[in-house]
Amino acid sequence: MDIAFLTIAELNRAYERRELSPVEVTRALLDRVAAHDAKLNSFIRVTEDLAMAEAKEAERELMAGTRRGPMHGIPYGLKDIVETAGIPTTGHSKLRQHHVPKADAEIVRRLKDGGGILLGKLATWEFALGGPSWDLPWPPARNPWDRDRLPGGSSSGPGAAVAAGFMPAAIGTDTGGSVRGPAAFCGVAGLKPTYGRVSRRGVFPNTFTMDHCGPMTRSVEDVSLMLQVIAGYDAQDPGSEDCPVPDYRAALDGGVKGMRLGLVEGWHEGAGAHPDLGRAIEAAVAVLERLGATVKPVKLSSLRDYTDCKTTISSVELYSIHEPDLRARPQDFGRILRNRVLPGALIRGEDYLAALRWRTALAKEQAAALKQIDAFITAAARTIADKADPSQPDRHVSTPSITMPFSVSGVPALAIPCGFSRAEGMPLSLQIAAGPMQEPVVLRVAHAYQQATEWHRRHPKLAE
Amino acid sequence: MRNDLSHLPPATPDEIRAMVARAGVALSEEMMQQFIATWPQFEAMVRRLPRGLDYADEPAHTFRPARLAGDPK
Repeated sequence: MDIAFLTIAELNRAYERRELSPVEVTRALLDRVAAHDAKLNSFIRVTEDLAMAEAKEAERELMAGTRRGPMHGIPYGLKDIVETAGIPTTGHSKLRQHHVPKADAEIVRRLKDGGGILLGKLATWEFALGGPSWDLPWPPARNPWDRDRLPGGSSSGPGAAVAAGFMPAAIGTDTGGSVRGPAAFCGVAGLKPTYGRVSRRGVFPNTFTMDHCGPMTRSVEDVSLMLQVIAGYDAQDPGSEDCPVPDYRAALDGGVKGMRLGLVEGWHEGAGAHPDLGRAIEAAVAVLERLGATVKPVKLSSLRDYTDCKTTISSVELYSIHEPDLRARPQDFGRILRNRVLPGALIRGEDYLAALRWRTALAKEQAAALKQIDAFITAAARTIADKADPSQPDRHVSTPSITMPFSVSGVPALAIPCGFSRAEGMPLSLQIAAGPMQEPVVLRVAHAYQQATEWHRRHPKLAE
Repeated sequence: MRNDLSHLPPATPDEIRAMVARAGVALSEEMMQQFIATWPQFEAMVRRLPRGLDYADEPAHTFRPARLAGDPK
C-alpha cells in the first residue's frame, strides 16, 4: 500500500479497518515532503509539529470511536492566502512576508472541526495573481510531471503537492481559474464551487465578486468529501448563500444515463490549443455517450469576451485592495503583480460598470443555455503546462482563458484529467460546469467519467 | 454589431505617465517603462467592452441591505 497516493476515501476505509493510523500516514507524508519538495517548491511552510499533534489527536479520537466526518485524520494543505491563526500567511509576497494572522479563515475552522491535519502552507502566485514570478521571497513551484515545467497558477503549490503525493487534498482559490488551471496542468481534480457556496472569510481577496475557495484532490469522490466539510453558509461573508448543503457523496451515484451535456463550440480548438487536446476531448465525449449521456454542441460567447469582462472587473477590484501598498511601496511588489494591479487605477468608473453590466448579460447567456442541457463540457486548459522560463512575457491579458467563463457566471466548474499529450507526456483536462448550486450534477458527471477511465490513477514518478 | 471604443487612439507614454501620477503612484523609471509596455493590452481590453447594453442588464453587484443589517431573528 503506497500511502502517498491513497485517496481520502481509501484513507477513511483504512482507518475504519485499523489498517493505517493518522499518525502513520502523516509521518509518511511529511517524510515524502522532506525528501522531494526541495525540487518542487510546493510548500512555503511545513507545519510539522502542528501536523503531528493533530494526527495524534485524530488517532486518539478515532480509536475511541469518535468520527468527525470524512476529513477526520486526513492530511491537507492550504494555499498561502488562507489565513491561519498563529501561522504566517504570506500571499507568497514580500508585502506580507511576516504577516501572522490572529484568526483562522472560516474554511480552516471547518477543516479543523472536521479533524483535518494541516501539513503546511502552500505556494501561490503572488496574492493569487502575480505569477509565475522569480522576483519573490520564495521560488515558483514546479510541476511534478516535469520539473522543468510549471504547475500553472495561481494555486500552484496545491496542484503540485496533491499531484506529487504529498497530501491527498488541498485548498486552492479560484478567481479566474486558479483551482482549475493547476488541477489541469498537474493531472488532478479541482472544483470551483458556486460563488457563495464556500466561505471566503479570512482568505486574502483577489476580486471580491469572483473569489472562490475549492478542493483539489486526486479523485472526484474526494472532491465531494472535502466539499462536504467546507461548504455552507457563513453570515460574516457578504457573498455567502444561505441554502442547504446536499449530501455530495450520495450525489455521485446514478451515472449519466439520460443526461444532456453541451460541448461548447470552439473553446478548446483553434489557435493556441495543444494539438492533442481536441482528440482528448472527443474521446471524453465518446466515453460519456457510451455511458448514456447525450452530447450536443452549444454556442456561447467567445473566450476573448469572457476574459475581457472578467479581467476588467478584476483589475479594478485588485487595485482597490492593493492601492495603499502600491502607493507606499511599489518596489515590494513582484513585477508581474505590480503590472497587473496598476491598470485598475487607470480604468474609468464607466468602464468598470460596463464590464459589470456585461457580466450580467454573459451569465444570462449561460443560464439560457442550461435550460436545454444539464451541464457544459469543455477543456479545463487549452495548453499543457508552460516551461519554467523567467524570460517568458506576461500573457495575462493577451491569452483568452477557458476557465474564466464560469468565473464570470459564478457557476460550479470542475477540472479532471482526460489524457496526456503524446510528445511531452503532460496532463490534459476536461472541464464540467452546471448551473448555480448544481455541484451534485458536476460531480455526478465527473465521477461517472472517472469510473470508466483510468487517467486519474496515473501519478508522476519523483526522481531522487 | 457591438458598439465599443476600439476606434480610439492608444494612450501615449506621456499620457500613461500622467494617468499614473494622477493615481498618486510614484514608480521608478524602470518600473514605469515596464508599465508603459503593459498598459496597451489593458487599454485595448477595456475598449473592447460592449457599450449600449439593455437597461435590464444591471451591474452584477451584490448589494442586499437586509443582509448587511444582520439577521432579524
